[in-house]
Order: sequence, then C-alpha cells, then structure tokens
Amino acid sequence: MESYQYLLDYFENSPPIIKGVWILSAVFFISVIILTTYLKILRSRLRKNEKKVAEYQKEYESDLITYLYAGNEEDVISAEQQIIVDKLRSCASDEFKRRVIVSTLLRLRNEISGEMADAIQKLYFQSGLISFALKRLKSKKWYVVAKGIRELTQLHIKEVHDKIALLVNHPKKEIRKEVQLYLVTLFHFDGLQFLDVLQTQLSEWDQIQLLEVLQRFDEQEIPDINPWLKSTNDSVVAFALKLAKIYNQFEVKDTLIELLSHPQKKIRVDAIHVLSHLQVFEAKTILKNNFDKLSQEEQIEFFKLLENLCETSDEPFLLTQTTHQNFEIKLSVLKILKTLSNEKFKDLKDFSTDADYVKIYEFLAYNES
Amino acid sequence: MNTSTTEIILFIIHSLFFIYAVFAIASYVILAIISAIETKEYMKKNSFVNYKEILSSTISPSISIIAPAYNESLNIIENVRSLLSSHYVNYDVIIVNDGSKDDSLEKLIVAYDLVKVNFLINQQIPTKPIRAGVFKSTNPAFEKLTVVDKENGGKADALNMGLNISDNQYVACIDVDCLLLENALQKMVKPFLEVTEEKVIATGGVIRIANSCIIKNGKLLDVNLPKKLIEKAQILEYLRAFLLGRMAWSRLNGLLVISGAFGLFDKKIAIEVGGYDTNTVGEDMEIIVRMRRYMQEIKEKYRVAYIPDPLCWTEAPDNYKIFISQRNRWTRGTIETLRKHRKIAFNKKYKSLGMLSYPYWLFFERLAPVIEVIGIVYFTILMALNEVRWDYAIAFIVLAYFFTILFSIVAIFSEELTYHQYKKKGTGFKLLLITALEPFVLHPFILYAAIRGNIDYYFNKKKKWGEMTRKGMAKA
Amino acid sequence: MSDAKKIVLAEDNSTLSLLLKFRLEKEGYKLLIAVDGKEAIEMIEQYDPELILTDIMMPFISGLEVISHVRNKLNKQTPIIVFSAAGQEEMVLKAFNLGANDFMGKPFSPNELVIRVKRLLR
Repeated sequence: MESYQYLLDYFENSPPIIKGVWILSAVFFISVIILTTYLKILRSRLRKNEKKVAEYQKEYESDLITYLYAGNEEDVISAEQQIIVDKLRSCASDEFKRRVIVSTLLRLRNEISGEMADAIQKLYFQSGLISFALKRLKSKKWYVVAKGIRELTQLHIKEVHDKIALLVNHPKKEIRKEVQLYLVTLFHFDGLQFLDVLQTQLSEWDQIQLLEVLQRFDEQEIPDINPWLKSTNDSVVAFALKLAKIYNQFEVKDTLIELLSHPQKKIRVDAIHVLSHLQVFEAKTILKNNFDKLSQEEQIEFFKLLENLCETSDEPFLLTQTTHQNFEIKLSVLKILKTLSNEKFKDLKDFSTDADYVKIYEFLAYNES
Repeated sequence: MNTSTTEIILFIIHSLFFIYAVFAIASYVILAIISAIETKEYMKKNSFVNYKEILSSTISPSISIIAPAYNESLNIIENVRSLLSSHYVNYDVIIVNDGSKDDSLEKLIVAYDLVKVNFLINQQIPTKPIRAGVFKSTNPAFEKLTVVDKENGGKADALNMGLNISDNQYVACIDVDCLLLENALQKMVKPFLEVTEEKVIATGGVIRIANSCIIKNGKLLDVNLPKKLIEKAQILEYLRAFLLGRMAWSRLNGLLVISGAFGLFDKKIAIEVGGYDTNTVGEDMEIIVRMRRYMQEIKEKYRVAYIPDPLCWTEAPDNYKIFISQRNRWTRGTIETLRKHRKIAFNKKYKSLGMLSYPYWLFFERLAPVIEVIGIVYFTILMALNEVRWDYAIAFIVLAYFFTILFSIVAIFSEELTYHQYKKKGTGFKLLLITALEPFVLHPFILYAAIRGNIDYYFNKKKKWGEMTRKGMAKA
Repeated sequence: MSDAKKIVLAEDNSTLSLLLKFRLEKEGYKLLIAVDGKEAIEMIEQYDPELILTDIMMPFISGLEVISHVRNKLNKQTPIIVFSAAGQEEMVLKAFNLGANDFMGKPFSPNELVIRVKRLLR
C-alpha cells in the first residue's frame, strides 16, 4: 500500500515530460494486452472458419451431386431436387454459407461441360443465388461489383449482358477487366465489340487473359479487325495485332503495312513482327528502302523478318549491313547470308576483324559441321 | 569550460537524440499506417485474380530464372529440380556455376543428362570467362535447363553472366537454394504486364524463413515455427520488414532494395545500366538504386513493384556466428551503395528517390546502429559520472520497449489477416512471446554485426576482397 | 462386388471427384479417390487398379510424375487418362510421351468420360 502511494506521489511530482512518457507507455502496454487477447480470438476464429468452410463444403458438395443425379428426363424438378433447392435457398440468406455454396458450384462448373453444367446453372437460378449476384452489381464498393461480375461470368449468365456492358468504361480498372472477361467468355468474338468504345488502356495482362479465353473456343471465324487496327487507342491496336497473328489474318495486310508508320514505336515493331509471321513480302521492300530511318528496335525486328522472308536479291543489301554495330543484327545478317549461300558465306570469313564478327562467324561456321 | 557551456552542449546532445528518436518512431508509425492501407487494397485486388490463365498462356512473356551456385554440390540436384517445377509456361532456368571447387558440375551433368553445346554469348556486360562451357540437357524433360560453368567471380559476376546468356524478356535473379512456389513467376510478372501508366523496372518478392518447414521434392508441404530463439526472432523480423516496411515503401514507390534471394527484373534495363556491380557485397541493393537513378536521369516514369505473397522460402542462419557474418555483409553492402550514389542524396532532381528514400535509408538504416552505439557510450559515461537522471532513463527505456513490442504485434496481425501461414495451435502465443524477447535475443547481435560491418568497411578492406572472390555466395 | 473393376482417380477438386465417383460407380466400377499425386501413387501401389484417371496439375506431385511412376518404376501398362486445363497442350504432349493413353480437356462432359473409360476397359 505504501509503495503504491509512493509511486503515485512520484508520478504526481514528476516533470510533465516524464508524466507524458509514462502515460504513453501505459497506453502502449494496454494496447499490447488488448491486441494479444484479440490475436488469440482472431486465430481461433480463423481456425474455426477454416474448419466450418470444409464442413459446409462437404455438405453442399453432396447436396449438389444429389441434385445433379436426381433429375428426371422431363424438364420439371423432381421432389428430391426440390428439397435441395429449398435447403440451399434458405442457406443462401446467410452470407458465410452463401459464399461456400457459390464456391462449390463454381468449382464444379469450371471443370465440366454439357448437360450437367446447364443443370448447375439452373440450380443457381432456382435457389435464388443469382439475385444476390445482381444486388452486388449495384454496390458502391468496387470489389463487390467486380466479384459479382466474376461470379456471373463463371456461371455463364448471359441474361445480364446489357447491365454489365454499361460498365465497359468504368473508372476502376479491376471492374473493367471483369467486364471484358464477362463479354468475351460468354459472347466470344462478338464480345470484343467493347473494343470499339474502350477509352482506357488495355494492359498487356488483360490482353493475354482475353486471348486465352478466346483460344478456348473452337470457332475460328473472327470478325473484321481492321477497325481495331486503326483505333486511336494504342492498346486496342496492340491487341488487334496479336489477334492478326494468332488467327493468321492475311486479309488485313494493307492496314498492317500502314501501321509501319504509326507514331508509336512499339506498334511499328509489333507490326513488323506480324507481317513477318504472315509472310508479307511487300513489307520487306518497304522496310528495306526505308532502313536508315528505322529505330534500332525496328531494324532488329526487320532482320528477324528477313530471316523468314529472304531471297537472293537481298544479298547486296545484306552485305552492306555486316558491319552494323548491333550484335543481334550482325548475327541475323550472317545467319541469312549463310542460308542464302553457304559457298559465299565461306568467303566472308576474313571480311572483318571485329571481335563480335569473328565470334558470330565462328559460331555459325561451327554449327554447320 | 564553465558550467553553462557544458549545459548548453549537453542540452544540444539531448535534443538531437530526442529529435532522432521522435523521427524514428514517427516514421515507423507512418510506415505501419501506409502499409495497412496498401495491404488492404492489395488483398482486395488479388482476391479474385485468375493466375491460372496467365500461367498456361504461351503468349505470356518469357522469363529466365538465373541462379548462381558456388560449392552447392550437396543440394544442387534437388534445388535445380525445384526450380524446374514452376507452373509458368514460358520460362527457362540458367544455373551459373561460379567456379565451384566441388563436384557440382559433374553431379548436374549426370543427373540431368547434360552435354556441352556450342553457344553464342552476346557479351553485353563484361564477366569472368567461361570455364568448362555451356551445357544443355539431351532429355526433353529438362529442355528448360541451361548450365553455365565459369571462372569464379562472385555472385554479381555470375548473375551478369546469366544476364548475357538469357534470351528472355525478364530475368528472375534468385539464390539457388531458394524454394519457389509453383505460381511464383506469374505473380511476380503481373505488375510488369498490368501497369500501363508507368514502366515497371523490377518486382521484389518476399523472403520467408524455411527453417523447420517440411520440404520434399522441391515442394513446401508444411509450415512450422522453428524451435531456436534466433530463428523465431528472425521470422518476426522478416514479417516486420516485408509486411510493414516494404509494403509501405512500395506504396510510396520508394523501394530501394529487392532481396537478392528473389527479384524479377526487366532484362533490357538491367543490361542498359551495366548489370550487377561486382565491386560491392550489396549488389542486390545497388542495382535497384542504379536502375532507379537511370530512370530518373532519362526522365521516364517508372516503378519498382512489390509482391507481398509468400512465394520464396529459404533457410535463415540458425547460429549467431553465421547470422553475424550475414548482417555484417548487409551493413557493408548498404554503406557501399549509399556512398556510391551519394550524388542523389537531397538532390531535388531525383525527386522522392533523393528527397525521401535515400535520406530515410541513410538515417534510419545506415546510421541507426551508429547512433545507438553513441547513445550507449554516452549513457555509460553518464553512469560512470553518476550523472544519470534515472527517472528519465527508465521512463524512456520502458516506452521504447513497449513500442517495439507493439510494432511487432502489428506485424503479426498483418500476417494473420493476410497470409496466415503459421496456422498451428499455440504458434500465436509463441510469436507473441518472441515479440517480448526479441529485443534481447536478436537486437544486440544485429547491433554488434552492424558495428563490425562499419569497422570492416573502414579499416579492413582486405577482408572484403577475400570474401568477394572466395565466398561470394553466402546467403542473402 | 470383388470383380468390380477398380479405378484410381487423382484430382484435387473434391467436388469433381465426388461427381465422377457417383457417375462411374453407377456404371459398376469401384472408385478410389486420391486428392494429390502422392496419395495416387500410394493407392496405385496398394490396389493395383485397372484404370487410372489423373489431373495433370496437382499439388506436391503432378500427374506427369504419376504417369512416369506407373510406367517406369512399377513397369505397369495400366491405361491412364489425363485431365488437362486449357493451354496445357505442352503438358499433354509430355503426358503422351510418358505413356498416357488418352486425355480429356477441362471443362469436359462426364458422359463423354464414361464413354472413354468404357472403351479402355472393354
């Protein structure tokens, strides 16, 4: 008791700074205690949730399977199915349970096709889960909207197209990405129409994802990509170039050639790449005549094109480039000369004493034997 | 000297210490808040990213994993196997055998059916020459593997060789004994592909401590909390550094370090700036500072991205001797880098790099141990003179102690709410206990190692060179 | 019941496993379910099934390793069908090189799988 009184007196008589420090210490100490307790609760809750998710998942999994196998030939719901629909409908009002149900449906929906996939979608409607996803689209939080769209995409709900298409130019890029994936996953090439109105940049990541989705479909009848190649949105042009390459769009070659004078270097380089892939010989002549005005990246890409499209008539030009200061170009030039004529290549042995030249020459000569 | 001047001098000293402490604490608090904001946003954004699509895509950009190896014979076969098991499609693995004196190369040749190949190297960065040659596998299952055997030149030199050899757009520079999760590459490459308004020049990853974890066939099967105090304390230290510190700096686009153990770089820029510096023991920090400086100088908008997911696991030192030599090296690396790039300090031309990142690093990383030691010495002198105001001293020490604990607990919370890797019952309590013990079991050794690093840097240049050529591969 | 043909199914998606189990057991097969490659190998060694269904991408031990284990370590010619996701063409080729008999690209129709299983077990 006495020491307690002593401490109190000591504190009372301390200078303000010491008082402040002790008060702050006390605040920290109390925070530590509170956080410690909370951590304990948090950890056990996380553990419990994990267990609960596993439990529910098992339950819903077997419900889903029962539902899928309880269907009869006619289009109506069987009694057994109705029980499950009712059960899921009541569970869906609980957010935690709903999350598990939806993830269970999705886990299966993503892996299978055919009648069963359609049956899953039917269950999604019957159990009223869809109304929750639609509610999400109206949320003020961007990630709720994005998640809602994703869910609708994965369950292939085509009916909400008009609502979702409105969000194509949404300021949040995560939402735009989901919208694009929705359109392309469900409407394939028709879904690409959003490119006509897209005002924002389509990142490389978005482009790869869209192309991956498109490649999953068998139909290879692709719409006219000319308008996208001429788009004022550079990222749309870049994307269209990828389409041109993957789907061998030889018929757009004139537009591709026009792109050789696009203001963006990246696009000019990509255009050369696609022209090389499509083996457009006209492009070679144009680029060759314009060679000195090209940037180094374009020159490198041009020589890759030449590796693909070289003819004997290119030889004089190539010989002027053997002393190019760029390593990659030098390699390309010698490689092409060797392909054109092994005999003449042998004469080039002592053409230059430049260290890189000698190294490349020896490498190519050695590969022959 | 009369009493009043002494008093004034003492007052100035005290004030300086006080101001430093206030700034340090404030910076910690601010970083914690920023990291909380950034973490929340990151988790939201990544809760529904589909990595499966990008990983299988053949149009995804090409990546080379470059892993230097020096006398790693013991585990090299398994380590390479682990590197080859990534789920990313468009990648290859370049193992640079940096003049190992053991049988690493022979083992690799046998295990992976390697044969010497004729290989053309575009020597864009000068390195030590090739020794036995470049090897590729005859087995199609290992077509992604290239092994280069070269003369010993240290870790930086080996990485440069990898940069010369790689034919890919991005390079992942890692320690050969790191365990990468299968989806590590697609997560790390994402920022490069996703950011459209700036150029991403590098992505840093998190290092997690693999001690006591169960690893089989190059895969992480179970995460455990290790037994030794020194290991547990480092786990806490890493959580703080990666989940609070770096997360906040990445938000500010001010990251100055990417762990040497795991980082992804834009190869073209890495080569343009001249690759890794072979004259420092801190090559991992140095190259980032140089790349940033380069981007500032050519006036292009850029970013160093950061992925906080636990993707790379590595063994941390489990004894004080190795721990101290590791931290000693880190200290010298920091000093060397900061000295080499003195020009950017407080230079408005370099914007936040010169006005924020560099000064922070200088004052709170580079100088912190020095100031702490000065403080301790000063305190000891006062004690000897019996001049200590114990009421002040005790109050401040208690405050600092509780603050440290509080900060560590925030880091633990950050871990629990995001990745929750230590799931087992009871580990939560153990981690909390460590927050209280860490100031005694780890901090004194960090301080000691940092001081040794300073002494070695200024008075023992020979040591550095010996280490560079012989032992350049110690863990980072 | 002992003459029912045994099938080991290695698949990390438990919902899909369950669905296929029901479907194939309705056809009179006995299904053994493994959640990863490691378990699959243990089951194959223990029960010596007539057919193996395996996903290519699984945690810990991939489907490719399962195939290689069956063909090279156990020296068995048990028919194997692999499941692959879109874009894993390269892996599918590897699977065939290692000795897989058939493949199904996800998403697939369970009915289609049953037809292929029957064909291989005829």
